[in-house]
Amino acid sequence: MRWLLRLLRGRALDRDLDREVRAHLALLTDDLIRSGLAPEEARRQAALAFGGVEAVKEASRDARGTRFVEDWWQDTRYAFRALRRAPAFTAAAIATLAIGIGANTAVWSVLDALVFRALPVERSEELVALRHGAPSDDDPSYLLSYPELGRLQDKLPAAVRLAGMSSTERLYLADAERTEPLNVQLVTAPWFQVLGVGARRGRLFGPGDQSGGDGQAVGVLSDAYWATRFGRNPAIVGKVVRLNGVSLTISGIAEPGFGGLTVGSPVDLWIPTWMQSEVRFLGNSSARDSDTGKPWPPQNGIAWLTVVARVPERIRQRTEAALAAQYRAEVLEEYQNSDSTERATALRETLALQPVAKGFSPLREQFGDSLRVLMVSVGVVLLIACANLASLLMARGAAREQEIALRVSLGARPGRLLRQALTESLTLAALGGVVSPLVAWWGGLALLRAASAGPRPVPLALALDARVLGFAFLLTLATGLLFGMAPALRAGRAAASGQFRAGGRVAGPAPARLPLGRVLVASQVALSLVLVAAAGLFIQTLRNFLRLDPGYASEQVVAARIDPRSAGYRYDELPLLYRRLLDAVGPLPGVRSVGLAMHGLGMTGMRIGGIRVPGVSRRSDVKGQGQENFVTPGYFATVGMVLLRGREFTEADREGTPGVVVVSQSFARHFFGSEDVIGRRVGYGEPWFEIVGVVRDARVNAIKWAPAHLMFRPLAQGPQEYVLSVEARIAGPAANIARAMRAAIAQAEPRLPIREVVPVSDLLERGLSREQLLARLAGVFSAMALLLAAIGLYGVVAYSVARRRNEMAIRIALGAVPVSLWGLVLRGNLGVIASGLALGLGLWLAVQGLIRNMVYGLSPGDPFTLGLAMAVLALVGILAASVPAWRATRVDPASALREQ
Amino acid sequence: MAPDPLVKPDLLQGTLDMLVLRTVADESLHGYAIAQRIRLVSGDRLAIPQGSLYPSLRRLENQALIKGEWRTSPAGREARVYRITAKGRKRLDAELAEWRELSTAIGLVLGTG
Repeated sequence: MRWLLRLLRGRALDRDLDREVRAHLALLTDDLIRSGLAPEEARRQAALAFGGVEAVKEASRDARGTRFVEDWWQDTRYAFRALRRAPAFTAAAIATLAIGIGANTAVWSVLDALVFRALPVERSEELVALRHGAPSDDDPSYLLSYPELGRLQDKLPAAVRLAGMSSTERLYLADAERTEPLNVQLVTAPWFQVLGVGARRGRLFGPGDQSGGDGQAVGVLSDAYWATRFGRNPAIVGKVVRLNGVSLTISGIAEPGFGGLTVGSPVDLWIPTWMQSEVRFLGNSSARDSDTGKPWPPQNGIAWLTVVARVPERIRQRTEAALAAQYRAEVLEEYQNSDSTERATALRETLALQPVAKGFSPLREQFGDSLRVLMVSVGVVLLIACANLASLLMARGAAREQEIALRVSLGARPGRLLRQALTESLTLAALGGVVSPLVAWWGGLALLRAASAGPRPVPLALALDARVLGFAFLLTLATGLLFGMAPALRAGRAAASGQFRAGGRVAGPAPARLPLGRVLVASQVALSLVLVAAAGLFIQTLRNFLRLDPGYASEQVVAARIDPRSAGYRYDELPLLYRRLLDAVGPLPGVRSVGLAMHGLGMTGMRIGGIRVPGVSRRSDVKGQGQENFVTPGYFATVGMVLLRGREFTEADREGTPGVVVVSQSFARHFFGSEDVIGRRVGYGEPWFEIVGVVRDARVNAIKWAPAHLMFRPLAQGPQEYVLSVEARIAGPAANIARAMRAAIAQAEPRLPIREVVPVSDLLERGLSREQLLARLAGVFSAMALLLAAIGLYGVVAYSVARRRNEMAIRIALGAVPVSLWGLVLRGNLGVIASGLALGLGLWLAVQGLIRNMVYGLSPGDPFTLGLAMAVLALVGILAASVPAWRATRVDPASALREQ
Repeated sequence: MAPDPLVKPDLLQGTLDMLVLRTVADESLHGYAIAQRIRLVSGDRLAIPQGSLYPSLRRLENQALIKGEWRTSPAGREARVYRITAKGRKRLDAELAEWRELSTAIGLVLGTG
């Protein structure tokens, strides 16, 4: 406190001291006069006895203890003055820093939200999920059935409560005004208690909501959804709404910030698990010896709940042991009649606790690595920018040699000069840093949009909070030190060695004066090469994927994605619905033909079944699985899938006639080898289906996925299947036809929700969002790096030319031709470019492994890409060096020599 | 004129601070008087360079061991007069005790104690 007072009263204290020293001298002089000296002589003697007045004042100021801050303030003001004197340099530097720091912060904000941040619940490190599988499993499963959950809970210490959650699905919420899709998750009653999430309003689930015995259907809204859909209207609590047609009372609003455990996929509404069959919820599940058409909660064979618990570290081992024991007991009981190998296989699996402090996130799995690569890339861009600023500051420092020489001779200490130079760079960095959050905010949102598949942006909560701003602050500090250190050290060292002399003149090949500058430029070239090469690879990867033949005419097929199950259509209504859909879309202008499919093209939802061939023993592993779909007659011709053998489905294939299937090439090869499969039988058991046709392999789900083993069945032979896609082959502008299709379907079936109507090629491109993000951003970052490196090279060459003005003038005076001068300067800098390229190549070889599984269709060491990147950099480098080199040839010898 | 000083300008900071503190412990004095007093009491053996007094006074004042205020002398000269604070007195006692201890110890080793 007193220190602060002294700091603030610095000037007043200075005046006080001055007064005191004068009083002291006056008293001393008085005494000396009294002892008989003449006043003049007395004053002289007094001053001698006192010593250097200014030195005493300096020492007293030091004693005040506020010196550091005062110097800093002085340095800062000095830095501002210096920066104001060079407005162009200052503006360029601040802009570079703002963009550099802002871009880094933007990538960080997304990376942090997706990868590093813990869930917004208290003591999130205690949260665990029950995963089962063999300990070495790469792809463990988390799903358990509702009865399993209950049995496990009984065996656990009382302190450990389990809570189950379903996958999050889009259902339809209707109030008096409108119907809207929202993300719904089914949870067991202790859900909010286990997570430690409280109610913002109303009440959350209690024991009474577990069974639904009292028939009271309730739901809890997330705070975010309450805000966007209901405008935080408090009257909503207690209101009755309809979810997929089922009445439901909104009992409460959850704590702000909580949106479930899946990062990037927030839940809007939680309902109790018992409502599964009421709202016709059919989310992720794995079924065995069970009927998915009946209510799920009582069935032991349907695993559909991810079970989480709060288990403090100290009881984790005990809990895990209890779980494993119970799991083992259940397996032994279930497999008591199986043979020993099957039992042994089953016993390899176990239940374990998986910490989920950061929640689950498919987005994290999809984008985590890419974001890390982008974080490094954008960091490299900032590094290159730092190198530029360091070069510029050094050039400025060299230009201020005379000023520094003067200050050294006036007694400035080297340390002080060093600190002053650093203050200048930190001031610059701070100015850039202050602007950077704006860039970061905008950039973060742009990044999310770039990463988003489809019309809705990724719902990831980006916040300019302490973590993000702290990152920006640290980065600013590091940046300032990084680009300021070299010039500051140089100034300090030069001052210490008395190297500066007034009017220093340089002759001969001067570039050696700035070896550090040349090292910086070579590193810039090297780093840019790495970024350009990476961008080239990512762009080609995207192109390779886009060039892949999906096995159907994705450009000419428009898919309308519908959801009759959520709308509550009964099984007996389906045939009529399907007839109406075909009749509504078929006659539209531009539509050549139309078909229906249970799972549409470009949709990642699928049904996997264990396929058997009569007479061949069952294979229970992944190798025995096929992907089943139901389609209408003429479907293959409509979507452009090529029939290789046999026939399409016809109207004659319907309920009551023998079951038939069309399989894909890889299905046929997988289950029958090279045999002819037409007429062979296949299926899940009796009754078998006869194979009537074979289609060419197709990437029906996503372009990135290898063709699956497909088995198509006629929709008429599966009349209870819900069709999710209406697909039309078009001739004409897709957008117009899509609009017409939507209108026609809405008119024919007003109660049928239409999710969207899009060309299948659009759906396929969404599956490439990671590749697009990488290609786009790596492209942008490498362009930035290239530009910065070019500016850096230009600066260094321009500087060396300026310093060799005299030499150039003499050469011209002696008759050198411009071309030879141009070549002279350029040759001197080719070495820098070449060594930068060599360095970059080495760097690339060292880091290429990091992106090995992000490229497709070529290797990270692809010689063409690398060669192209090197050529681009060499060209840019030579161009950047040519401009100042050319300027050297324009030196007017007379004026240049006169200037001395 | 002052005799050749025994104490050089690089007199240990802490020692000078202690001398100043001890000097103002008996009565309030201004800077010039403090210098005179030290010289007088030491029998002209300790003549501190007058300028180095002021950094010492600032240090002591910053630690709130002494307090300075402007006064006008009977002769009409204004001067900043320092007096010891309660905290300063406590510190002085502690420093003196330590000093005695140390000088006794050194005396014993040197064989003069």
